Amino acid sequence: MAKTDDRTDYLTGTDKTEAQSVLNTKPRYWEHRGNRNNMWRLFNFVLLAAGSLLILSPLWWMFATSLKTMAEVMSYPPSFFPESWEWANYIRAWQAAPFTTYTINTITITTFVVIGSVLANSFIAYGFAKIPFRGKGIWFAIVLSTMMIPGFVTLIPQYVLFANLGWVNTYYPLIVPHFFGSAFYIFLLRQFYMTIPTELIEAAKIEGASHFYIWWKIGLPLTKPALATVAIFSFNGAWNDFLGPLLYLNDENLYTLQLGLAVFKGQLSTQWNYLMAGSLLVLLPVILLFFFFQKYFIQGINLSSGGK
Amino acid sequence: MKKLRMPLLILTSTTLALSACAGFQTNNSSEGETNDDGKTVVDFWSFWGSELRRPVIDKIVADFNASQDEIEVKHTYSPWGDIWTKELAAIAAGNPPDVVINDINATAIRGQENQAMNLSEFMDDGFADKFYPELWNATLYEGDSYGIPFNTDTRVLFYNKDAFEEVGLDPEDPPATWEELEEYAAMLDVKNGDDYDRLGFYPLWGVGYDVWLLNANGENYFGEDNNVDNVNINTGTNVEVLNWLKSWRDRIGENVVNSYQAQIDSQQGNPFFSGDLAMLVQQPTFYTQISEYAEDLNFGVAPLPEYEPGNGHTSWGGGFVAEIPEGSSDPEAAWAFIEYLTGAEAQEYWAVENFDNVANIEAAEAAAESDELSEEGQMVYQMAVESMENTLLTPAPVEAPGFYNYINPHVDEFFLGSMTAEEALAQAQADVEDLIQKNQ
Amino acid sequence: MEKKRLTIRRKESIYGYIFIMPFIVGFFAFTAGPLLFSLAGSFTDYNITSRMDFVGVENYQSLIVDDGLFRTSLWNTIYYVAFSVPLTTLGAIFISALLNQDVPGIRVFRTLYYLPAVLSGVGVYLLWMQLLEPGTGMVNLLLGWVGIDGPNWLYDPDWTKPSLILMKLWSVGGSMLLYLASMQGVSKSLYEAAEIDGASRWRQFVHITIPMITPVIFFDVVTSLIGGFQIFQEAYIMSGNGEGGPANSLLFYNLYMWNQAFENFDMGYAMAMSWILFVIVFVLTLINLKLAPRWVHYEGEEK
Repeated sequence: MAKTDDRTDYLTGTDKTEAQSVLNTKPRYWEHRGNRNNMWRLFNFVLLAAGSLLILSPLWWMFATSLKTMAEVMSYPPSFFPESWEWANYIRAWQAAPFTTYTINTITITTFVVIGSVLANSFIAYGFAKIPFRGKGIWFAIVLSTMMIPGFVTLIPQYVLFANLGWVNTYYPLIVPHFFGSAFYIFLLRQFYMTIPTELIEAAKIEGASHFYIWWKIGLPLTKPALATVAIFSFNGAWNDFLGPLLYLNDENLYTLQLGLAVFKGQLSTQWNYLMAGSLLVLLPVILLFFFFQKYFIQGINLSSGGK
Repeated sequence: MKKLRMPLLILTSTTLALSACAGFQTNNSSEGETNDDGKTVVDFWSFWGSELRRPVIDKIVADFNASQDEIEVKHTYSPWGDIWTKELAAIAAGNPPDVVINDINATAIRGQENQAMNLSEFMDDGFADKFYPELWNATLYEGDSYGIPFNTDTRVLFYNKDAFEEVGLDPEDPPATWEELEEYAAMLDVKNGDDYDRLGFYPLWGVGYDVWLLNANGENYFGEDNNVDNVNINTGTNVEVLNWLKSWRDRIGENVVNSYQAQIDSQQGNPFFSGDLAMLVQQPTFYTQISEYAEDLNFGVAPLPEYEPGNGHTSWGGGFVAEIPEGSSDPEAAWAFIEYLTGAEAQEYWAVENFDNVANIEAAEAAAESDELSEEGQMVYQMAVESMENTLLTPAPVEAPGFYNYINPHVDEFFLGSMTAEEALAQAQADVEDLIQKNQ
Repeated sequence: MEKKRLTIRRKESIYGYIFIMPFIVGFFAFTAGPLLFSLAGSFTDYNITSRMDFVGVENYQSLIVDDGLFRTSLWNTIYYVAFSVPLTTLGAIFISALLNQDVPGIRVFRTLYYLPAVLSGVGVYLLWMQLLEPGTGMVNLLLGWVGIDGPNWLYDPDWTKPSLILMKLWSVGGSMLLYLASMQGVSKSLYEAAEIDGASRWRQFVHITIPMITPVIFFDVVTSLIGGFQIFQEAYIMSGNGEGGPANSLLFYNLYMWNQAFENFDMGYAMAMSWILFVIVFVLTLINLKLAPRWVHYEGEEK
């Protein structure tokens, strides 16, 4: 049996079942079960590795293309390995447009979007999940409804709106709306908050805590994996956003990475090697961020049982 | 709450600090822009951002700016295709740029919808004569021009001279009719079991079926004057042409066709470069790719073969215009720039540097003889200029926007074998007539 | 006592509105106006730049009564949603279950499986066109190894939508992340208890994991349903510049709407289309919400 963490918190007091009161920590539950488990782990590993190949093979093509000369890209039939490994493509791609400026711009926008998304959506979602109030159903329906109208038809009026605010050619239209929540994340975080036991919140309230305090001190820490997900998604969304910067930015000095990548794709021909090199470079920070952000999942806290 | 205050404080202060940065400065002074020197600023949007095109257009802009001291043109690149969504939004908000490069085929519709300005009032008599008439006519709505032709293209036949020689064909005598095309193609085929080591030709790589219809008819679906009163889709000739196209597909085999097609569609690995395909219909600018990716290829160019001897080598093209969006803050200055952009000097420079077909006749003819082109380049460009004489555009009539969306699916079904040519064209004809009726 | 409870309830209501206030403010400031505008526009012949005259229900009428392409596009979209939503949901659950194990190199695996979700845009779709090439493309090459003669994918109208679904499956990494976050929240003690009772791994998965992640399954189903109905860019790129071919098999609802709005400038018509879609999706979501209490299990809910 796993070691028991005997720190108490709101939950341990309210927990009903014995199983739930046993708090987990490493080592994992299966580690004492010998051979059968090792077989199981091997099976998992093989399955995952096979899947990785499927996932990776398209990416290999991207990578290989990024290292070919254009003459090789255009040769028929396509080659699987680059003939000469043109690492210089990466440098040339980077220099084909002011990508350093674009990176700074993209980081600026993305930072605000992530902060806004995490704070606002979590705040709003807590309200929908954990506070009973009149009209909640209707407001939640409105939240969901905002996802259901295709963006194309609101694109023009929204642009006119921001133009009237004098926000065209600034980052405001790309950032500010994220500080007011968006349906997808509100819904997502609400689902996670719903799994926090109501008794936990009641207990805190009895001790005199306000909802703000509960949200900040209990809600946020308990939904860390979900917040990490929102952070990753919104980072990804802002980083890869094409339509927003396209519409709202008129000054090339304000352009973002995705707009920069578009220079490789012309009307008649595409500079595939540069496009792929550029895409991979742009992708790199996202991958790294994800790789290191994962610990928030691994150290995730048991929503259903509280714990840790 | 106390813990909340700190992050919020940091957030607010960064916001304030950043609001000094460019992306956070709001700016309402977009009307009647002038720069610090008191020059009128003309905002010019194009989709020419590649390493090849960007320096050329920037040089033209710089030359224009240096040529006078009243106007300063500011060129902004915006991605291909999406640039027009952006333009539309800007027009709707009443704050558009002053000059935009747009698709020639929808110019009349944009005139009708008040997206582009009527340019007739700006131009002198005889201005229109500088451009290929087919291009000019495509810019007209109710007799007025809503965009000035900038560049254009046509379709010509590229062929592999070495392959010709190898099978005993005269490399200086490319196929002139559809019959010869078929005959030569069969001779050029090198079969290897079910596969091909070399394929002579397939008519639908590089162009669509509609180009062959145009070539056979010598006019588009709506007659010479693009009038929707006569819709000539379901005609005997068209049935014949579709069946002819299908016969290629049946002969070569679906799998081979799809395989090559996918390669060409993905804009990578062109079999013409490697000699696996002996003939291919393409735009003249395809030459830039040959010279870059297949330097040693010994190739020739010819006009599109004709349907029957004497029928005419009708080809198909498109192009782009420079237009002034409705709501531009200074149309006069914008016009001055457009005049320069479509003038002989700028056009020749563009033509030679980009190896692109231009709309200005004088410039096109000068470019074909330019010393800056290689001998091969001159040969291709000369062919392009000749082909322009027989090149038709297929702008959508204002009563039939997006009409090809009503024809293509039926033709697809014909090629897939689920309809006969007669059935497909009859349905297409009916659908397009419906569309016209709805819009009239 | 009565009175006090009332004030508590009222206080809670005030709190509730304070919490959702950012959304309300943002809704009225940025969203409501454009939404209403598009609703109003759907009863006009709005062309974005110069015209907006009232035409009554004409747009709706001609859409429903005599627009064949509208029906085609709706059918294509429903087909796509009907297959892609269940398949991607199952796929994501399966992969996240694998990734929730203690396997060497798990962080690398997680990153790899998430990768496709990060890749976006035109490049990926063009990449898939290459992979799905019937002759030498990788997909058919792999199928060939196991003795299957692969279809013509994007060239055969019967296989174009499955092509897109396949591509969608490749990038389930996004929803995988959600499930992973949710599975991380499942108390290990539950498994331990089951272990003691001698429950098999499969039974543990079915009886513990699945019920505990139903809130996220519910979320995933609802949002991918909404998102599935709005499929656009894949089809736009992979069907030859938005034409929806071959044989209109990729003419999805939003693609047709886009063509009406931005190619033909018939924005009023497109707006009418968007509100018809809204009604369809809203009804489906409502059904989902009504059915939810039967299968979605919120651990924190008071019973």
